Amino acid sequence: MTELRRWAVPLGWLVLLLAATLGMGQLEGLFRWIEADSRQVIYARADFATLLGRHLLVVSVAAVLAILVGVGAAIAATRRWGRDFLPLVSQLASIGQTFPPVAVLALAVPVLGFGTLPIIVALLLYGLLPIVRNTLAGLEGIDPGVMEAARGMGMSGGQILRQVELPLAAPVILAGIRTSVTINIATAAIGATVGASNLGDPIISGIVNGNTAYVVQGALLIGLLAISVDSLFSRLPLAGAR
Amino acid sequence: MRPENPGPNVVLLSLSLVALAAWLGLDTVSVAANRIVPGTGHGVADVIGVAGALVSGVPWLALAGFAWRPTSRRFALALALVVLMLSALPAWLALSAVTLVDSAQARLGIGAGIWVVLFLLLLVMIELRSRLVLSRPIGWALLLPPVVSAGLCLSLWLEPLALWQEYRGRSGQFLGAVVEHLLLVGVAVGTSLVLGVLLALAMRRWPGVQKAGFGVLNFLQTIPSIALFGLLLAPLAWLSANVEWLAALGVSGIGWAPALLALVGYSLLPMVRNTFVALEAVDPGVIDAARGMGMSRGQVFRQVRLPLALPVILEGIRITTVQAIGLTAVAALIGAGGLGTFIFQGLGQAAMDLVLLGALPILVMALLVDALLGALTDVLRPGGAK
Amino acid sequence: MIDLIHVTKRFGATTAVDDISLSVARGELCVLVGTSGCGKSTTLRMINRLIEHSEGEIHIDGQQIRAFREETLRRRMGYAIQSTGLFPHWTVARNIGLVPRLLKWPAAKVQARVEELMALLGLSMEEFAGKYPHQLSGGQAQRVGVARALAADPDILLMDEPFGALDPITRESLQEELRELQARLHKTIVFVTHDMDEALRLADHLVVMHQGRIVQQGRPLELLREPADGFVESLLGGEDRGLKEAALLPVSQRMRPLGAQSPADERIGQHVSLREALSVMLWRHAERLTVVDDDGQPVGELSLRRLVGARSDD
Repeated sequence: MTELRRWAVPLGWLVLLLAATLGMGQLEGLFRWIEADSRQVIYARADFATLLGRHLLVVSVAAVLAILVGVGAAIAATRRWGRDFLPLVSQLASIGQTFPPVAVLALAVPVLGFGTLPIIVALLLYGLLPIVRNTLAGLEGIDPGVMEAARGMGMSGGQILRQVELPLAAPVILAGIRTSVTINIATAAIGATVGASNLGDPIISGIVNGNTAYVVQGALLIGLLAISVDSLFSRLPLAGAR
Repeated sequence: MRPENPGPNVVLLSLSLVALAAWLGLDTVSVAANRIVPGTGHGVADVIGVAGALVSGVPWLALAGFAWRPTSRRFALALALVVLMLSALPAWLALSAVTLVDSAQARLGIGAGIWVVLFLLLLVMIELRSRLVLSRPIGWALLLPPVVSAGLCLSLWLEPLALWQEYRGRSGQFLGAVVEHLLLVGVAVGTSLVLGVLLALAMRRWPGVQKAGFGVLNFLQTIPSIALFGLLLAPLAWLSANVEWLAALGVSGIGWAPALLALVGYSLLPMVRNTFVALEAVDPGVIDAARGMGMSRGQVFRQVRLPLALPVILEGIRITTVQAIGLTAVAALIGAGGLGTFIFQGLGQAAMDLVLLGALPILVMALLVDALLGALTDVLRPGGAK
Repeated sequence: MIDLIHVTKRFGATTAVDDISLSVARGELCVLVGTSGCGKSTTLRMINRLIEHSEGEIHIDGQQIRAFREETLRRRMGYAIQSTGLFPHWTVARNIGLVPRLLKWPAAKVQARVEELMALLGLSMEEFAGKYPHQLSGGQAQRVGVARALAADPDILLMDEPFGALDPITRESLQEELRELQARLHKTIVFVTHDMDEALRLADHLVVMHQGRIVQQGRPLELLREPADGFVESLLGGEDRGLKEAALLPVSQRMRPLGAQSPADERIGQHVSLREALSVMLWRHAERLTVVDDDGQPVGELSLRRLVGARSDD
């Protein structure tokens, strides 16, 4: 029962998201009121479920890759054999944070071209930074006494990593992943301008054609998606307070 | 850190070898007949021949050599070499322009090779700077020769450079966009600083405000910028249509009004959070002592709490400003102007160099603000305390 | 000088300090001792109104403390705490000059006072005046804390476990310095600690608190000899009390004039504590010590029997 209550809020948002995705057509009257002059008030070039699916796909592929690479790189840089890279990696992660996501996305296009691939790469690159930084912070922030004790008890390097370091650093790492995913949901939407088809499409198309109803439809769904995902993260058992 | 390292410096070694591979393996420039057609790529050998290409590998190997048995002297030499190589990159573009570009319409594009090498060289520089424990100002001063070299090459030989041509085609517009961008960021950050400090003070006094305030601001922060801009569109359009003085002020669904509103909304959270945390986190022992010594509430706040919180508050301003610079770029989508305009125009026209013309200054702006405010924070931290 | 009359402090439903009465005479060093949560810190902080008392009256020089403005009251009293509370963004000199500046002393006078205090606490002006608190060792920081508390030459000094975070050796030397300062400056000091050895070493007037009440107060020797109940007895160290008492008494109290016997080889100063004399006896396997004055001249002798307080000798 308490378990259900814990998930009630994110579930509520998810239900709302799904309802809005599938039932957007039912709201035609409302949008007609917002955008009285246009002939068509519901975005119709693709159905919203497909757009949502593509959006999720791009973000999750980028997120999974970013987690693998980011956590891996941070772990490598904190091992004895990788220590030499630590100052560089941590400086890079903090400098990279100042790169605006739009700029990263825009810079990816000249190199990689239009379409879904540059978006995934740009999201991957940008999403790496908070994950690397937080993983480093989490691993470096562990009480040296605990590490000392773990070594003193005769745990191997791998055992310490799996049983001590990662569990203790988990809340911080998870916070990094949450930041990364939240930013990427937003950045992916801007990806609609470079030819990826996702929830950003209606917004761009609405702005270009002066159709406010389209804009509101896209904005509503992206907003709901972002809030649902963020609220899911905040309920994960390991997630510490922000 | 460890100036006299007996073993090879693995970081420097691998960076220089990867850079060498990129230099020889990727196209350094591309040449297109005009603005529309895609260019053809050219490697190093196309510009200076195979023998020349082999010779151009020498500095990289020298860099790797310095890394093999590092001493602080060799690190210093390597740093000098890196500065030299960075300064040589614009010259390389100039050389390519002279050898490869033959017609007046043709444009020279910067290839992946140059970008990768530039990135790696900057990494090498960061690594060397931290190994040699150089101060921030020296680190920035080291970037001076490459910047001067770039300026020189641009004004003399780099007329065919596509990025430069895009700029010269709209230099007035460019300046206007930079000003617009800075103005939007400045006004948004300024407003949110005033509101943020007031809100943080209110939160410290009334716990109810704290809970509600953070709830709303956290919620706002999770809504993607593009969505928030979009959602503000409808109500603002309605307001400008129905409230005359707002319309007279220039408020409308498109333009600076929704942009500014959204920017302030986003900027509030980092500002309030840092200000609040900074004020709360001051050591209670210090406050207890201050009160015990007979300082009045006002004195405790002005002379103790605020100065001790200032570095963290400045940190909040830094984060906020950097974030606002990026978000303002997105605001171009709803017609707010600024450098984002070039990005989205360029993306629309598939003119990549126009995209660069928008994205690069934004990047530089963000890095500069970050560095300046970071330096200011260091200055305001008395005696290196904390 | 300081009088607490039936003072009670309640935080909501809990009573932190329960109807205590206490008088501290001018120039006295009064130590409040007890386990954590016994109300000793609360009592101290009620004196300078960092905490307002709920019932009863607190007087300074016969005047109710509520007759003063809070800040005025506090500026009349020095205040030193365990975490030192030094302002990390100010130099040592500026920290010490805080209260004089609050009292609007002229700058030259503040400067002179800072120099005087730093000399008094053995902090060299050239070395420390420009340093920031984080550049100091724990002992140095605490000296600065005490100097700051003394800055405006207050009659009253409130100290809340000021030496609690220091290592034993530094702590002991600071306790010694505090005693010497007290002998010279005759401040009225209220000192809170949970360390009974520290309390016994410093106190003129010892107050044992437990669960918000004063269970016993008096001179340290009185408490040692006649603890009011089992709690005070255990706090005083149970069977260790003998050694603690011996630590408070000087050799001169138990020695007797030089007799006909040939003087003992082992010597001991007349101001040394009986505890130390006992230790010397144990270590040297000696039953008699020759007591000497400050110039090394024999003035008497101390036997083991007299040391342990047996009435008759030999």
